[in-house]
Amino acid sequence: MAENKLNDGMYVIGGLFIAIAALMFISPMSLMEDDWVTLPLIGLPILGSLLLMGFSSAVPAWKKESISETIKYASLGISLIVLTITSLMMTDLLINVHWANISFNQYMYEVEYNWIESIGAEWHVGIDGLSMPMVWLTALLVPVTIITTWNEKKAWYYHPLLILMGGCLMGVFVALDFFMFYVFWELTLVPMFFLILNWGGKERKYAAQKFFIYTFSASILMLLGIITLYLLQDPSTANSSITGRSFDMHEMIKNAQQEVILGNIWLGAGTQKLLFVLFMAGFLVKLPVVPFHTWLPDAHVQAPTGGSMLLAGVMLKMGGYGMFRIPISMFPHAVVEFQMLLMIIGMISLFYGAWVCLGQTNLKRMVAYSSVSHMGIILLGIASLQPLGFAGAIFMMFAHGLISPMLFGVAGAFKHHYHTLEIGSMRGMAKHSPWLAGNMMYSWMASLGLPLLAGFVAEVAVLVALWFEFGWWVIIPGITLAITAAYYLWSMQRTIFEGGEKTELPESLGDEKPKDIYLTEKIGLMTLAILIVIFGIFPFIFFEMMSGYSSELIENILLDEITGRWS
Amino acid sequence: MAGDISVEFWVATIPFVPLLTFPIILFLGQYFNGKDWWRDILKEGGAISLMSMGIVLILTSMVVAQFIGEMHNGQGKDILDWITFDVLRSDGMTNGVNLGFGIYIDHISLMLLFVASFLCFLINWFSIGYMNTDKINDNRNHRFYAEFLIFCSGMLGMVLADNFLWLFIFWEVMGLCSYLLIGFYYEKPSAASAAKKAFLTTRVGDVFLMIGLIIMWNIYGSLEFDIIFNWNYFTNPVDMTLLKTALILMFIGAVGKSAQFPLHVWLPDAMEGPTPVSALIHAATMVNAGLYLVARMFPIFSGTADSGLIGDLADVGIIIAMIGGITAFMAAGIAFVQNDIKKVLAYSTMSQLAYIFTGLGAALWFASKGKPELALFALGASLFHLFNHAMAKGMLFMASGSVIHEMHHAHHHISHGEHDGFDAQDMTNMGGLASKLPITSTAMAAGSMSIIGIPLIGGFWSKEGIIAKIWKAAIYDGGYLLFIPAVLLFISAGMTGFYMSRMWFMTFAGKPKSKVAEHVHEETPWIKFPLVILTFMTLGGIVFASLHFIDWVSTGHAFHYDLVYEMQHAFLAMDKDGVIDSTFLILTWATIGLSSLIGPVVAMSLYGGNLKDGEKAIPTVSWLVKLSGMVKSRWQFNNKSLAESGLAEALRRRLYFDDLYDWFCLKIIVPIGLGAALFDKKGVDGVIKGIESGSQSTSTWIRKLTTGSARDYIMMVALGSLLLVGLIWGMT
Repeated sequence: MAENKLNDGMYVIGGLFIAIAALMFISPMSLMEDDWVTLPLIGLPILGSLLLMGFSSAVPAWKKESISETIKYASLGISLIVLTITSLMMTDLLINVHWANISFNQYMYEVEYNWIESIGAEWHVGIDGLSMPMVWLTALLVPVTIITTWNEKKAWYYHPLLILMGGCLMGVFVALDFFMFYVFWELTLVPMFFLILNWGGKERKYAAQKFFIYTFSASILMLLGIITLYLLQDPSTANSSITGRSFDMHEMIKNAQQEVILGNIWLGAGTQKLLFVLFMAGFLVKLPVVPFHTWLPDAHVQAPTGGSMLLAGVMLKMGGYGMFRIPISMFPHAVVEFQMLLMIIGMISLFYGAWVCLGQTNLKRMVAYSSVSHMGIILLGIASLQPLGFAGAIFMMFAHGLISPMLFGVAGAFKHHYHTLEIGSMRGMAKHSPWLAGNMMYSWMASLGLPLLAGFVAEVAVLVALWFEFGWWVIIPGITLAITAAYYLWSMQRTIFEGGEKTELPESLGDEKPKDIYLTEKIGLMTLAILIVIFGIFPFIFFEMMSGYSSELIENILLDEITGRWS
Repeated sequence: MAGDISVEFWVATIPFVPLLTFPIILFLGQYFNGKDWWRDILKEGGAISLMSMGIVLILTSMVVAQFIGEMHNGQGKDILDWITFDVLRSDGMTNGVNLGFGIYIDHISLMLLFVASFLCFLINWFSIGYMNTDKINDNRNHRFYAEFLIFCSGMLGMVLADNFLWLFIFWEVMGLCSYLLIGFYYEKPSAASAAKKAFLTTRVGDVFLMIGLIIMWNIYGSLEFDIIFNWNYFTNPVDMTLLKTALILMFIGAVGKSAQFPLHVWLPDAMEGPTPVSALIHAATMVNAGLYLVARMFPIFSGTADSGLIGDLADVGIIIAMIGGITAFMAAGIAFVQNDIKKVLAYSTMSQLAYIFTGLGAALWFASKGKPELALFALGASLFHLFNHAMAKGMLFMASGSVIHEMHHAHHHISHGEHDGFDAQDMTNMGGLASKLPITSTAMAAGSMSIIGIPLIGGFWSKEGIIAKIWKAAIYDGGYLLFIPAVLLFISAGMTGFYMSRMWFMTFAGKPKSKVAEHVHEETPWIKFPLVILTFMTLGGIVFASLHFIDWVSTGHAFHYDLVYEMQHAFLAMDKDGVIDSTFLILTWATIGLSSLIGPVVAMSLYGGNLKDGEKAIPTVSWLVKLSGMVKSRWQFNNKSLAESGLAEALRRRLYFDDLYDWFCLKIIVPIGLGAALFDKKGVDGVIKGIESGSQSTSTWIRKLTTGSARDYIMMVALGSLLLVGLIWGMT
């Protein structure tokens, strides 16, 4: 009987693959030339997950267990296809493109279709030095998350939700149209909401609502900004929409750039500042920064491991990415005006976040606050208004995107095998679970900025750049580095080490014997570990394109404003 | 000037040999632990790591052989553009600035390269005898060897790096490994705390170092040695105050790493690691890093002085010498009262490193004052002391490891494996071991003599040089502030004589003080070989001295042989023209008398004594034992009142530094953290929660309007219409 059930599932999923393959190869080829983004990166995961979820909801409840393996493999397959395509694109760009020579606002794999013609919304996608690392990170983290949390319960919904999440995130990073950007921006909330709601901890309902409402209301401000920007355009007959306006980001950045060349302030100083504030409100809450960060610890503590991994790994980076893509690229005057404010917010996040970490007793909460603290570095990099600082901030987004999923993966594994998240509830984990302890130590060391691991590169870059602009302010991040080391080492001592020959196990474990992590968890975490050290030793793989992008951005948009302020 | 040989790519492979071997050991160990072939043939990874270190030693010897005598100036080679970026300054964008990785070789790095790889090899050899024969380490030795290898590669990489950034990177790698190795017995709370303390204390220093480096980068626009050392201060003037600040910040990093006052607290606790780790940290790697960093600053000082900026950086030299003097004195004092054999050695390391720092401080001071010859001599003496200290201390730790190991075995034998709180490291349990551990006792005697500075033995030549130069700076060259470190070093020399002798006599002379000490045997063959080799290296100090090692490490000029001049210089304070300086003649003999006579004699009378009847020590040390017995019977000192005084208690409590730092962490840092967490929960999140409940209650209130009664609705419609009418009327 069991065999039969499995076969049923196999047929459906096989059919699904054929359908998607047909979609990919027949219809697009006739319509579009070389569109490597739309369907492979966004369409495949979203459609695939919807089909998988639709299929599993059609299966009666008692049969669901039997199809879960199939669904898992199908999800993994889809995510691996996306990863392969993205990796090929990345290799192509890394080898064939000299980033220093690409001019600003120029995109690779750019495609444009009419979407909602009447209002001028387009489906416009493209990839540049800013989005490539994020796209690859997203494509990488989805399969890693799937593998790490392979045994999550209700797998028939869970794993498709993860790839849906990946598809939505991908949409945010490749969108070059405000309408599309906003749609995907809000769309990412949906799978995450359900991930927290269905697989979360005890207070998941509260956490899911808080997460949704908090970030949603912040994005409303961003939407206001988008609409204002839309209405401020001069209607032109070139646009086929009724209003004569469009949501095209590419166009708007071009306009901003032209005004900069002419020596004007695009839209006027006051409007720029207003728009800057509106957009930044959405991004800063997403990043998040102190004091708008309290949704994050709650969401993380309640979210399942996989949700946390994607949330910290990629979702937070949407904030940083958005800042670069919209406010910094469009409102140079406002950026320079608000430079000091950005720096102070960054410092507060960094410093305050680290202190709060020191006082935490919940492992996931501590890691969540360490994310807040590290996101402060991104803001500092931006505030430095140096190519190196920008590149460091982007590298931080990438490095933290590798490190934080590992942190949360490890925390999740701890929860799974020891049924607790309390720091100090046990001693001597290294004895029972050497792999878990090893991975935990490694990820914590990476997070505290150990050289030869990815995080260090970003920290050095940002701190060097910070000195140029702010001089001795660099002491605050310096102190934070020491505090970061302190809270991680302190937790390490109270969890992994000590305990004597017999060790102390947490009460939550009861009579159970402590186990080490599963093979799947090992694979997922080790993948991240290897990548962290690779990008720590050879950061230039991505750093070159990041620094190329940063230099272009500063040279084309910000240079006059910055030098104008100096003189 | 520079030799014809250029540095080639293969030199860069040296640090990568151990770096690539470590994962192999780690993973093999994880999977094959407990298998016979893994345990017996590969020694749980020890054989693999020994092979790896052997390759490193061969490569290093090739490098040394190739470059020795050719490296009057350093030579660099770029290998990798690590990160490339643009810099925006007020005069526009500078394109393609990079922070790269490369290798840099000069006489200093050659010397340290040799010291590191030679000692790492021997320590690895020793570890196979020490670690693998102890049951407690079974199935986790692979972790030891893997971490050991990263440690070595960190040191080798740091010495070879051609810029301060990569120096810092490898420096931190060593910090990590020291953390892992000190905490090797992680299940012991004391070891876990010691590891944490070591990492955090050095991390505090590292933060300063990092800020210093950032400032350096801002000043020079690069961190490469080639650029900084050949900087033209005439054409490109720099902000000297800023430079001074940067150098001091970097020095604080060195203070943390080399365990100097006030960041010294981690070093004694680091004894929680297995003994080979102590040897590794104290002799071959970690603590030398700070010295190396300061030695690397030398060209900046001489460069600025050459450009006419004489004395601008002299303060930095004074600060370094001061810290050195204070630490030398303080550590020697604390070493007086330690009963743990390894703790004595730890404080002795701290004190001897302080000597080197003082010497380097004097060198930098002279360099900044525009006196290159004296500066080079002081630099050479310091680095020579580094060499001598590394050899002696490596040996001393291995010898102490041998003592502890055999004590442990004897105890195991007697007590049949029961734990009864016996401390195998406590010297009050030892005594009379000279007859039982012939090779160990000889090695320990040679090492102690070198550290004390007994004439003609290794450490003497370099220590004499350091003391002479710091006094010279204080007396003749106007560095009056340098009198303080000069006097402190002079006194500490005598103290060194006492505490090192105390350690030796407590351990090896007299009657056995416990039953265990009577049953000790020297048995493990792997342990002996490194001791013998290093004994020769230590006693061979006269050879190195007569080869003008001091000249070579400071200027890179080839060895040349002149023993007579060296002797005249060292013992008669005679300069090249044959003129004898009477001040220094007195000083020299006063130092020798204090350190080699008074210190040891006092120690002999307090702690010496003949062996048990019928026991015979090996001839190499039997004269020492007999001498101590003679002294003890002739002179009796009563130190009881001193030992029970408040001063001794303060020294036993390590002058309360640990208490102070503990108090600071537990009463200041942690409460702030807890307070911040509470504030975040109640304050920041409280506001959000307030908004939540506020909006909820508002909506509950508004819901009450929906009464369901038609009368109310009609009323509302009427009111609304009125309002609308009013609005329209108002607008028009």
